[in-house]
Parts: sequence; structure tokens; C-alpha cells
Amino acid sequence: MLVLSRKLKEEILIGKNIRITVLDIEGGSVKIGIKAPKDISILRMEVVEKIQNENIASASKELDVISAAADLLKKTLSKESKD
Amino acid sequence: MKINTRKFGEIDIDEKNILTMPEGLPGFPDFERFVLIEDPKTAPFCWFQSIETPNLSLVVMNPLVFKPDYQLDMKTLIDGRDWQGAKQEELLIFVVINIKEGDPKNKITANLMGPLIFNLEQNEVVQIALCDSDYSHQFDVLEAISNMKNG
Repeated sequence: MLVLSRKLKEEILIGKNIRITVLDIEGGSVKIGIKAPKDISILRMEVVEKIQNENIASASKELDVISAAADLLKKTLSKESKD
Repeated sequence: MKINTRKFGEIDIDEKNILTMPEGLPGFPDFERFVLIEDPKTAPFCWFQSIETPNLSLVVMNPLVFKPDYQLDMKTLIDGRDWQGAKQEELLIFVVINIKEGDPKNKITANLMGPLIFNLEQNEVVQIALCDSDYSHQFDVLEAISNMKNG
């Protein structure tokens, strides 16, 4: 990992067209501005991890647990439409 | 074409239905080719099955069944990738489903924060992250259905 120190308003250039600016520093929080081509995805790491973890968990479920849940879901759906 | 699956054994699939994930599947970076399987025994769930390994299949379903007002900014989605020919109405949305064992009953959760978008015209699927929305990655499906009638 490359480690750089930047002061407020200083910038970093990644490759030819990704530009990072330190916009604000307050308390323990840094506001970072990112300019990048729109085909480059920029995501908070926690969001990426949540999505990965839901995928991994879903892939690990056994068929009997899923079948039981499907039956429960069908029952709940038909109950709501009978009212 | 025949493929091997852990949950359904050997199944026959039409090669025209093979979907690729050009941006990969988060959590499973080595796998890119999948099919969508509908098994009547586990409906309304569908299965997003890898054709490269029998063990990999995700439980997915159509979110409009339990959240009819679920909406995405389709235009930004289409613009951000090479899907210029795609019409918004032709893109399908599925969400990944999980089951949490609990007391008194199990919870069925849906990842509304990271939907799977199917472009059937190009046989491509991407999983996008809606980081600026309020949608949860563990949305309570059964509770939403109960609230639909009572709300």
C-alpha cells in the first residue's frame, strides 16, 4: 500500500484520470473529493463488504432450509391476498 | 448443454440462456458464467447458478413481489456501462435472498442495496451498489408483505 500524507486542499493523481482532493478535515473525519471516469466504480468499502457477504451467505444455504422458507413465503403471500 | 449442480444434480441448459457477469460477482471473483433457474418447488425463489462450479448458486427473487415501489435510477446504470442499446423496460431486477435462522421463526432477507440487473438482450448481469439509498442489504421480506395489506 502506498502511504501519502496530504494537507487540506492537496491532491493526488492516480493513473491518468483519477483525481483525489482532501476537501475538509474535521475531528476524525476526512472529506475526500474524487474525480474519475464514469465507468470506474467508487464505493465505500463497507458497502462492498455487505454485498459480498450477502452473496456468500446466500450461496451457502442448504436446499431444505430454502424450500421451507419458500413455503413460508408462499403462505404469507396468499394469506395477505385473502384478506 | 448439460451442467452439474449440487442442488439439482445434472441439468440441461440452453446455451442461449448463459449469462456473463463482465464485472464479476462480488465475493466470488473467479466466476463469470451463470444461468437463472426457476424451480417450481422453491418458487417464488429463483436460482442464480454458476455453470463453472456446481457448488455456487445464489437464491434470488423479484423484489416487486414484496416491495412494489422498489425503484432504481436505470438511466445512470445504462449510461455507466456499455449498455447503450438497452431499454429500461427490458432490464430485469433480482435481489439476493438470505434466510436467517431465528426464534420464533426464520427471517427471509433481501439485499435491496445490491440488486442484480439482468440485460437479457446482451445476456449480461451486473450487481450494482446503491450506496446513496436507504435500502438495506438485509430487508425483512415477510414483514414487508404483512405491512403491504395492513399499511
